[in-house]
Amino acid sequence: METNKNHSEGNLTDQDQLNSLRKLITGLGQKELERLQLLMTDPHEFSEEISELLPHAIRTLLSKGEITTDDLQPIIEETIQSSIQRNPRKLADILYPVMIPAIRKAVSEDIKKMLASVNASLESGFSIKRLKWRLQALFSKNSYAEIVLANSFVYHVSHVFLIHRDTGLLLHEERSAEAETLEANLVSAMLTAIRDFVKDSFKEKGSGTLEEIQVGSLNILIEQGPYAIVASVVEGQPPLDYRETLSETIEAVHYNHLNDLQQFEGETESFIHASRFLQNCLIQERKEKKGSVFPWPLFIIALLLLLSVIWIFYEKYNRQSEFNNFVKQLDETPGYHITQAKMRFNTYTISGLKDPEASPIDAIIDENNLQGKKIIYSLSPYASLDEGLVLNRAMRQLNPPDEVEMTYYQSGLLKLSGKATADWVYATSKQYQYILGVIKLDTSELNVSRENSFSEITTQNLSWIIPIIENYSFVFDVNVVSLDAEQQQQFDSLMSAAIFLADYNQLYNKKMAIFISTYTSRGGNTQANLDVANRRAAEFVNLFEEAGLTNELIDIQIVYAEDNEEQVPLRSVTFKVTEKTGDRI
Amino acid sequence: MIKKKITMLGAFAVGKTSLVQRFVNSIFSEKYQTTIGVKIDQKLVKIDDHLVTLMLWDLYGEDDFLKVKSSYLMGSSGYLLVADGTRAKTLEVAISLQKMAREVTQNAPFIFIINKTDLNDLWEIDTEAIDKLRKSGWEVLLTSAKENFRVEEAFDKLTKMMLQQK
Repeated sequence: METNKNHSEGNLTDQDQLNSLRKLITGLGQKELERLQLLMTDPHEFSEEISELLPHAIRTLLSKGEITTDDLQPIIEETIQSSIQRNPRKLADILYPVMIPAIRKAVSEDIKKMLASVNASLESGFSIKRLKWRLQALFSKNSYAEIVLANSFVYHVSHVFLIHRDTGLLLHEERSAEAETLEANLVSAMLTAIRDFVKDSFKEKGSGTLEEIQVGSLNILIEQGPYAIVASVVEGQPPLDYRETLSETIEAVHYNHLNDLQQFEGETESFIHASRFLQNCLIQERKEKKGSVFPWPLFIIALLLLLSVIWIFYEKYNRQSEFNNFVKQLDETPGYHITQAKMRFNTYTISGLKDPEASPIDAIIDENNLQGKKIIYSLSPYASLDEGLVLNRAMRQLNPPDEVEMTYYQSGLLKLSGKATADWVYATSKQYQYILGVIKLDTSELNVSRENSFSEITTQNLSWIIPIIENYSFVFDVNVVSLDAEQQQQFDSLMSAAIFLADYNQLYNKKMAIFISTYTSRGGNTQANLDVANRRAAEFVNLFEEAGLTNELIDIQIVYAEDNEEQVPLRSVTFKVTEKTGDRI
Repeated sequence: MIKKKITMLGAFAVGKTSLVQRFVNSIFSEKYQTTIGVKIDQKLVKIDDHLVTLMLWDLYGEDDFLKVKSSYLMGSSGYLLVADGTRAKTLEVAISLQKMAREVTQNAPFIFIINKTDLNDLWEIDTEAIDKLRKSGWEVLLTSAKENFRVEEAFDKLTKMMLQQK
């Protein structure tokens, strides 16, 4: 019993000794060992333990430089990507409180910028440029508003300043090749002063900061970061996304120069590396390229307008030419005399004279393709002396038999030839003087039914021969007695009527004779003149007798021209048909 | 290249602008000060082989220090506190301004300038007061902008102080 107790005591002692030895070697008690065992056997417990150490370990590794954020980046990205793929809603729920205000702010910013741009465009009022935009909108698929926005990008960024926010000191400057040199240090300081002034002056009216300063056509756009400011000098209206470019620039500067900015003591050397970010803000080239694009829509519009104008003038010229040709042709047509012709739009007015015998106008209109045109005529009637029209007039008034041919001479002579009845010849002898344009009638070549028997003649009216005979007169030169060729023709014509004188006397039981009256000159020797007159009378007597007239049908009367009361042509021979008394004067 | 912002502080008409004008040789223009309360000049100086661009913020002088825009002081590496030796009251204004400047600039170095030594007959600030300020740690310089007396020294000294503090 005692032994067991001792053994038991001995065992306990061993255990204690073992524990003591273990603690001595490892420094861990029973409880600690049990906890370690639990960690090794239970992964959940182990992970719980590690999770407390891991963030601290990562921070330590980062601070020591053993790992970098670049090393962690792919792991974190893959983890987030995997998480989104598995359950996108979860991440969306997490980000919701952050995203919604951010989206709202971004949308609000964009709308504000767009409105500012549109307002700036609309404020420019009516101009050739705006008219050009409207035409561009008309000939493109874009709306007018889109064209206005696109054309609002009229800008040239000349300077970009990086300014330390608190001190107002210039950290770095970039300027375009064309830009003039500015006192950049002073500009930066003054911009800071103005910003502070504005902030102090309006601090009770809002928490915003100065974002833009307008100086004439220059806009100074300011984008603020926690330690630095980017100020961009823009000529004209900057594009919508330019503000975003400035934001990205200030973010990039802060990301890459955070230590320099936080510990800034006036040393600006290190900010030379910010140059690449600032240069991104100098974007005037894009505008220049845009401006150099050839304005095809405008060119096409101008060309169309020019072609339209040419076409209008060509059409007008054509119409005018056609009308002029028509008027000229009408004026040259016998029986028309045009005094005035006007063309106003599609209405033509023609004034002048028209012979009733003239041909109709319709044919000339057809010839000049003027059908359907509105033509107003103001044509007064007149008698044309055109040969054809006088003959037409004579044909209509005299209604000659088919065998009669008429010829008209400009001297006013209407010559008849062919064959006609005595009645018609008599009627013609009465009517010809009423034909406009006819002064004389020549029937010398007209055959007037000479072969008719007296019985036939008695049925005819021969009274026409007397006026025809009396219508003839012959004028001679000084001392000339014989007839020339033309006078011979006249005499033949006279004989065509005189030949009926015997029939006339028989028909009407008359003793009519042709009295030949000769007139002398007033000057010169009276006896000589008388001799010539007598010889002319004798010449005609001979001619009549040779032509077949008997002596009783001829009588002679000599009239001395010295007698001033006689109104007759000098040196002439005329004829009267009267009752023969038997005495010659 | 090192750049430093220096602010000129002091009561009305103590000669801040004249001091800057004398130092920078600039053409004085009042329009900035009357418009937004500050005029800015720059001067390149060489101190101990260091080229330093000094940006001089010349604040509009106010007898009432409360009216001074403290935001213009922000970021100053040092400041010149100016008083008019012929007007003792400007010393009080300077002391008040220094309290404000100390807070805003977080104990940036400064030099207290008592200007217008050329007007010795009208001098009002006694030596005792100046000694008291020096004992309290102030760097005090008596200058004359009119006679260009110790003006450059004041700026150089402040620049050195600023560089040393760095």
